[in-house]
Order: sequence, then C-alpha cells, then structure tokens
Amino acid sequence: MLTVLSNYLDSIRDNLRLDHSSEKEVIQELETHIEDEVEELRESGLSEKEAADTCLTLLGSAKIVARQIYEAHSQGSWTQALLAATPHILFGLLFALNWWRGVGWLLGMLVLVLVTAVYGWWRGKPAWLFPWLGYSLLPVVAAALLLLYLPKSWSWVAIIVYLPLALWLLYSVTVNTIKRDWLYTSLMLLPLPTIIGWFVAIEPVNQLPEHWLQRMQDFAPWIGLTFLALGVTVATFIRLRRRWLRVSVLVVSGMITLTMVAYYAEGRLSIPAFLILMVVMLLVLLSPALVERTLRHSG
Amino acid sequence: MAKKNELIKGGIDSLLLCVIVQQPVYGYQIIKELERRSQGYFKFKEGTLYPALHRLDKAGLIRGEWQTLPNGRQRRYYYITEKGLYTLAAKRGQWLDFLTAMNLIIQPAGK
Repeated sequence: MLTVLSNYLDSIRDNLRLDHSSEKEVIQELETHIEDEVEELRESGLSEKEAADTCLTLLGSAKIVARQIYEAHSQGSWTQALLAATPHILFGLLFALNWWRGVGWLLGMLVLVLVTAVYGWWRGKPAWLFPWLGYSLLPVVAAALLLLYLPKSWSWVAIIVYLPLALWLLYSVTVNTIKRDWLYTSLMLLPLPTIIGWFVAIEPVNQLPEHWLQRMQDFAPWIGLTFLALGVTVATFIRLRRRWLRVSVLVVSGMITLTMVAYYAEGRLSIPAFLILMVVMLLVLLSPALVERTLRHSG
Repeated sequence: MAKKNELIKGGIDSLLLCVIVQQPVYGYQIIKELERRSQGYFKFKEGTLYPALHRLDKAGLIRGEWQTLPNGRQRRYYYITEKGLYTLAAKRGQWLDFLTAMNLIIQPAGK
C-alpha cells in the first residue's frame, strides 16, 4: 500500500479513540475498501499514484470520517450509563446516609471498587470503567498521605518504598488512559476537584481529629449530594455521542459541583479559594488533552 | 451539489437498508450498487458510508460479519436483521407518502 494511503489510515486510527478491537475492525474494513477501490481505478487505466489520490478524494477527510465513526460507536447504553454512575452514587450514599464512619461499609466499598476496576481493565477498558478506576486510585493517594503522618522513621519508609510505587501506578494508569482517550482521563479525575473543594472547606489543618470528624458529619448530606450530581453527569456523558458535548458536560458539572460546595460550605470557602478551585478544576479536566498531544508528538 | 448531499444524508439509512435487504453486501459493493441503481445520481463521499453502516449496526438494524475470501482476504458483509426489516418497511411507507405529497404539489393534476 502506498505511503499516502497508509498515512490516511494512520490519521483515522489516531482520531478514532475507540477500544482496541473496534479500532482494528474499522481500520481493516477501510483498508479492504481502499484496496478494492485502488484495484478498480488501476484497471480503468490510472497510475498507482493517480488511483491512490482519487481514492482519498472519494473517501473524504480522515478527521471527519474518524469523528463520524466515533460518534456511531460512542453512545453507551442506559445500563452502561448506570454502571458508570454507580461509584459516584455509592460514594454519595456513603455520606448522605452517614455510612462513611462505618469501617464495614468503607471496606465493602473499597473491595467493590477495586474488583470492578480490575474486571473492567481486563475486559478491554470500556467507557464505564473509568469512574471506577478514579475511585480505585483514591485509596492509593490517601494511603500515601497517611504514611507521611507516621513517626519519622516510618515516614522515610513511605518516601523510599511506597511513594515511588504509588507514583508509578498513578502515572502508568493515567498515561494508559490518555492513550485510549484523554476524555476518559477527565472522566476518571472528575471527582478530584470536588474532593479538594470539600477538603479545603472542612480545613483539617491544625485541628483535632474529633473536630474535623464533627465538621465532616455536619457537611455529610451536602457532600453526598455533590457526588450524586457527579453520578448524573457521568450517566449523561455516557449517553452523549459528540465529543464537544461530552467536554461541555464535564466542565459545566465541575462548575456546578464546586458552586454547590461553596454554597453548602456556608462561607468557609473564600472567593479567591473558590476561583483557584475553578482553575484547578479546568486544569484537571482539560490538561489530559494537552498531555495526549504531547504523547503523540513524542511517540 | 451541497443541497443534493443534504438530501442523500437525510435518506441514507433507507438507501442502505434497501441495498442490504436484497443480499448480504460489503461497503465498497454498496457504493457501486447505489451508483448503478440510481444511474449515477447517488455519488457521495465514500467515507461517510462507514459511519452510517456502523450506526445501523449499533442500532441493531443490520449485522456485520467478517468473511474470509478464497484468496485469504477478509471482508465485512452486512446482513439485515428482523428489526431492520420492520424499520425498512416503515421507512418505505414514509417515503412513499412523502413522494406522493411532493408530486401532488410539484406536478398538480391537470397542469
């Protein structure tokens, strides 16, 4: 196959952002189409280059074809939408129903999240996996933070052994997800700005643990509500076909949930802190697109 | 040409179902069949065919299956499904009603 035709198929592959098996099938189908067309054009008397150029003109822009094929595949079923929203709903219920202080509930949730994330990863990373994946990485970050509060000799162990491993895991999962589709990284990181927002609003610094827990207890219903809102966002995301609508729904949801945090935190979040959180949210949700671009140019 | 393409875009699902209902076909064959049966009228950007086929496949109106040819090459053939047959019947009815109504206006009786 001529380079120009291979480049066309590569351009489609780069813009498809489908799972590996679907991508392989799409490319194989287009490749067969191109071979059939070029063969017929050559039989009609065109040179190999003329046949390739005519074929590409008839096929149209690779980016448009890839976008349209993406839109044909992207919409998930209602079951997938519910499955994707489930970790947010469970996390929301954990707070709304005050289960968050029960070790049993926390352990049950942790096991469910980890098992589902591993199962989804093993099943070819479908779209519903990524919210689960986000929550499965939370304990990794939380454990790293807790280890830093250990006595000094132990915190060195954390820094030397645990932190590099944790960072490697986070890096590897994030890069792999970005390679699949940067939007899924944003989907994975969606709860992060809300978690940071509540963390800032509760202000655990220099306070006794009991005081901190009491404040968590006071805010628990509202924390639950913001995570239920994220569940609605994720379900909507899965049901949408167009990428620009998917990006919009994530950004708007980030704005709404942070506004909810600021409103329910009853003045504990200053205006500058709220604005910084908005910038952090935009960075968290949109920077994967830049990383994807960098990864493509470098490799 | 842009207006013609818009018309084709609006009816592409019906056109594809009409071709696939006759026999299992592959993408390139559909392009050629549409061109032949419309006497060259239906010529559109071939790349838009596959998004439409995949959309119909996802909707359960057609089913794509890979077949290995005697020369070892693989082709994806599309078959119409039970749901596709019902949809095609409904779309045919809608088109016929639409054409009748259009004809009544474009070519009024007695003119």
